[in-house]
Amino acid sequence: MAALLPCTHFSSAKFTFLPSSSSAITIPALRPLRPRLNHRRRLSLNSIRASVSTVDSPLASSTDGRDEKKKPLLQVTDLTAIIAESRQEIIKGVNLLVNEGEIHAIMGKNGSGKSTLSKVLVGHPDYEVTGGSVIFKGENLLEMEPEERSLAGLFMSFQSPVEIPGVNNIDFLQMAYNARRRQLGEPELGPIEFYAYIYPKLELVNMKTDFLNRNVNEGFSGGEKKRNEILQLAVLGADLAILDEIDSGLDVDALRDVAQAVNGILTSKNSVLMITHYRRLLEFIKPAFIHIMDLAWNIMNCCGFGMT
Amino acid sequence: MSVLSFTPHLHVHVSPILTPKPKPKPKLNKLRISSLQTFATPPPLPSFSDPFVLQLADSLEDSLPSSSQPLPLQKLRDFSSQTLLSTPWPSRKDEPFRFTDTSLIKSSLIEPVSHSAQFLDSLDVSGDTQFPNLIFIDGFLKESVLNLSNLPDGVYLGSLLRASDRIMERVSKFIGDFKWGDLFWSINGMGAPDLGVIYVPAGCKVEIPIYLKYFSVEGGNEESKKLPISNPRVFVLVEEGGEVGIVEEFVGKEGNACYWANPVLEVVIGGGGKVRHSYVQSQSLRAAHIKWTTVRQESSSTYELVEVSTGGKLSRHNVHVQQLGPETVTEVSTFHLSVTEQTQDLHSSLVFDYPRGYSRQLHKCIVAHPQGQAVFDGNVKVNRYAQQTDAGQLTRSLLLEPRATVNVKPNLQIIADDVKCSHGAAISDLEESQLFYFQARGIDLKTARKALVFSFGAEVIGRFPYPSVRKQAESHVKQLLETAYDSSS
Ligand SMILES: Nc1ncnc2c1ncn2[C@@H]1O[C@H](COP(=O)(O)OP(=O)(O)OP(=O)(O)O)[C@@H](O)[C@H]1O
Ligand SMILES: [Mg+2]
Repeated sequence: MAALLPCTHFSSAKFTFLPSSSSAITIPALRPLRPRLNHRRRLSLNSIRASVSTVDSPLASSTDGRDEKKKPLLQVTDLTAIIAESRQEIIKGVNLLVNEGEIHAIMGKNGSGKSTLSKVLVGHPDYEVTGGSVIFKGENLLEMEPEERSLAGLFMSFQSPVEIPGVNNIDFLQMAYNARRRQLGEPELGPIEFYAYIYPKLELVNMKTDFLNRNVNEGFSGGEKKRNEILQLAVLGADLAILDEIDSGLDVDALRDVAQAVNGILTSKNSVLMITHYRRLLEFIKPAFIHIMDLAWNIMNCCGFGMT
Repeated sequence: MSVLSFTPHLHVHVSPILTPKPKPKPKLNKLRISSLQTFATPPPLPSFSDPFVLQLADSLEDSLPSSSQPLPLQKLRDFSSQTLLSTPWPSRKDEPFRFTDTSLIKSSLIEPVSHSAQFLDSLDVSGDTQFPNLIFIDGFLKESVLNLSNLPDGVYLGSLLRASDRIMERVSKFIGDFKWGDLFWSINGMGAPDLGVIYVPAGCKVEIPIYLKYFSVEGGNEESKKLPISNPRVFVLVEEGGEVGIVEEFVGKEGNACYWANPVLEVVIGGGGKVRHSYVQSQSLRAAHIKWTTVRQESSSTYELVEVSTGGKLSRHNVHVQQLGPETVTEVSTFHLSVTEQTQDLHSSLVFDYPRGYSRQLHKCIVAHPQGQAVFDGNVKVNRYAQQTDAGQLTRSLLLEPRATVNVKPNLQIIADDVKCSHGAAISDLEESQLFYFQARGIDLKTARKALVFSFGAEVIGRFPYPSVRKQAESHVKQLLETAYDSSS
């Protein structure tokens, strides 16, 4: 099964194969490559499963291994989307359920559509949703403007954050934070108050203060860009943080910083959906579920793997 | 004071005032003769008889104080009047004015301003008290508000009339001759009532910036068609190893007064010297503002220009930088903003004749009105002996309205063979991906657009070396953009 190829990253991987109850996998499940799946590995995965359990109750009786007492945070059902410009279908029926307090990971080959799915969820104008539904905190996410999605508590860290010359990093953060406060009916913070608010967050991502006076992402190294994304997450907070390859291009120290920052932000209520190619991130932030994006980039195979 | 009028097209049946006077005044006659004498071959006849220019020259001459002038100024006037009378009013057929319509000026009643010293004294214009300044009122130097106490010994700031013989002598060495000038250059040379001088002796580093504030007080309104003209002129001479920062600010008394400011700034920088030039043009949105800045750089000298131009209905900046020796450093950063029916024009020319010169030019403009226009003609000329020149030029334009226009003509002329030159031009709307980044962090589209538009210019504004200038330009640009946005949405 093509969808399984990324498994090789895991050698003696710590997750198990659990056919999802969701319908999206019907297509990939029928794909001819499926027999390639190594049966032995399947077994070993199964055997390790319990030891890496990160959720209170392991496999519940339900087929997807979810704790049914949990409140759903994000429910994606049969989502399809096209590239607005070329009208080419790019997301072909994705199903995904993220409950409050859960950590999920999406893996998959380059170009399989992981970033596209994230961007569709946060309302990127390059894509148009053509079918399916997305419910976030009980509301129809697809009807919201991108900024409303953000204000509703959905955060996505960009895989390649854009540089914005001429806009000061701290001004940008302040603008974003004040937009949030307005939304909550709280008074906006002036520059000095905001500085006091943001200063401790800098430590969290292990950045120097001069970081704030630079232009947003301009001339930032790969690692600095990632830290900046996490800083934004720390400043704004989120019920669901989609972290798109927050680990790529980072050395071990930087990775630990970033992972620690993410863990520091986590509570029992908020959830993370992280996209990664590398196992090492999963050692720092332990997911309960791993989903694989199908190799054929424009077909989504989701919820193929669950790990508890 | 004479008055000029104009009908847009020169028909045969022109209003009587346009026809050249049947019997030119003797002094004008004299000028014409001297003009003829200058040329070995007579200049082409049609250019010689532009009646509009003739009348303008006449009225400028009338407006000048009759008292005798210091020699350099007299030299300048003679030279300018000669070239003026052989230069026709520019039309759209002339390449340098292809995109710049000067009919706003030509269709007005041009009145040279005359102010008495008493009048100038009576005016209460506040100069900066912190820094030394020269204040010009409609082109006339108001000397009473100078603040010279903070200047190092040997530095001179003031009218040429009161300069020492030595400075007078140094200045006259450079004044007058400028073969790249145009009609507007000559108009200033002929009409400048005075010459402001900034003199920095060898090795002297002036720590504080010197302000040049140009106020336009006289102004007509659109109905009257009256267009008072002023011709302020300043000469900056920095001797070997000297350093100075100058800040030029142009403002009108009222936001919608009609006037024509026609200033000239000449800069000569001695070997190893440095001039940091900040230029802020915030004229009335109905004014015409045509400025020349010419710079001559001796070896290893540095010239840095940062400009923010937002005012004027017709605004043009002609910048000419000429090398007088090798290893010069030239940095030109300019930002033009058109938020109403206005034309913002930059014509720049950097000429390299010596080895190892270095230049960086960044021009940015925003046009935020359907009838707004930006023009950029950026010439970099690397001549035969200018080997190992490193010249970079970049222009970016932001069009915020579907019908807003920009005409950019970056051009490199390279004759030397061992050089490093680059140029680039981009015209764009706001970047979708940048807008989305704001939205993804909860910031609404309108706020995001405003921030991005502002940031576009902030790159240049941020290069002003003085925080006060930077802050002032920032808030002025913000305010203009704010009004532009409010009226468009
Ligand atoms: N706006 C777009 N226009 C054209 N093609 C697009 C667009 N967005 C995505 N694609 C294409 O869709 C495919 C999926 O891209 P996507 O970035 O989602 O992959 P990915 O799984 O995130 O890959 P990677 O692991 O390399 O980040 C790619 O082939 C990409 O080129
Ligand atoms: Mg990606």
